[in-house]
Amino acid sequence: MPTVRLRDPEEYPEPARRAFELAKQWFAHDFRQPAAMSRVMAWDPHFGGPHGRAMKRAMAPGEFSRGEKEMVAAVVSGVNACGY
Amino acid sequence: MAGDALWYEAAMVVGITNALNVVADALGPLMTPVKRGGGPPEAVAIYDDILAFYGAPGEVPLPFGLAAQDPGYLGDLWAAVKRAFSDNQLGRRLKTSLAFAVSLTTRSAFGTAFHLGEMRRLGVGAGGIMEVVGVVQMFSSYTKIADTLQLEPDMGDIAPVDRSPAPGGPPPA
Repeated sequence: MPTVRLRDPEEYPEPARRAFELAKQWFAHDFRQPAAMSRVMAWDPHFGGPHGRAMKRAMAPGEFSRGEKEMVAAVVSGVNACGY
Repeated sequence: MAGDALWYEAAMVVGITNALNVVADALGPLMTPVKRGGGPPEAVAIYDDILAFYGAPGEVPLPFGLAAQDPGYLGDLWAAVKRAFSDNQLGRRLKTSLAFAVSLTTRSAFGTAFHLGEMRRLGVGAGGIMEVVGVVQMFSSYTKIADTLQLEPDMGDIAPVDRSPAPGGPPPA
């Protein structure tokens, strides 16, 4: 159970709701609700914005493909024992 | 990165990397590794294979030198490591990068230095290394934010289920 109440998308301002749509494209998946992490990061756009841009920059194809980087992210999450 | 085989391979790399790192980091300062020719004769052939795999003359990486007191154990440990890191459905370059990511995330001094050296030896450039560092860093942030807020998984079902059998197993009915 999250320790905070995750707000419904309509409780966010318009720029955040646009960001939720972009997140669907990023994941190529039509979420019923924006992912919990997207909603958390949208709480403070002055943190979530640059954090998200850094993530997208890190995950962009380069010497490693996006898929390879998703695998790196998965093992980092695994060794951090992060269930999310 | 679809299909379970890739993820089974990745998990085995993660596991055996951690196995090497915990011993090297904890016991490296406390125990003397067995040098080539200084241990049981059975270990020599294994050492040669290890050195060939890593393309480096000299001494074998620390965890193997520490394991060489028992050549039977060393042989099995090495066989598992070699299998995990050999080209298969995932390439060695990516597997080594995963090992680097695991080592960096778990703050393994041995593993971070060793796999960084291996990434470079296998042709990953400074840009590629920074890419992996960036992913490790950002997901070390996301994971802690998620844990702090105790977020529940909501993206676990977006990948298709792989219905193929285990290697060598019968096809699905």
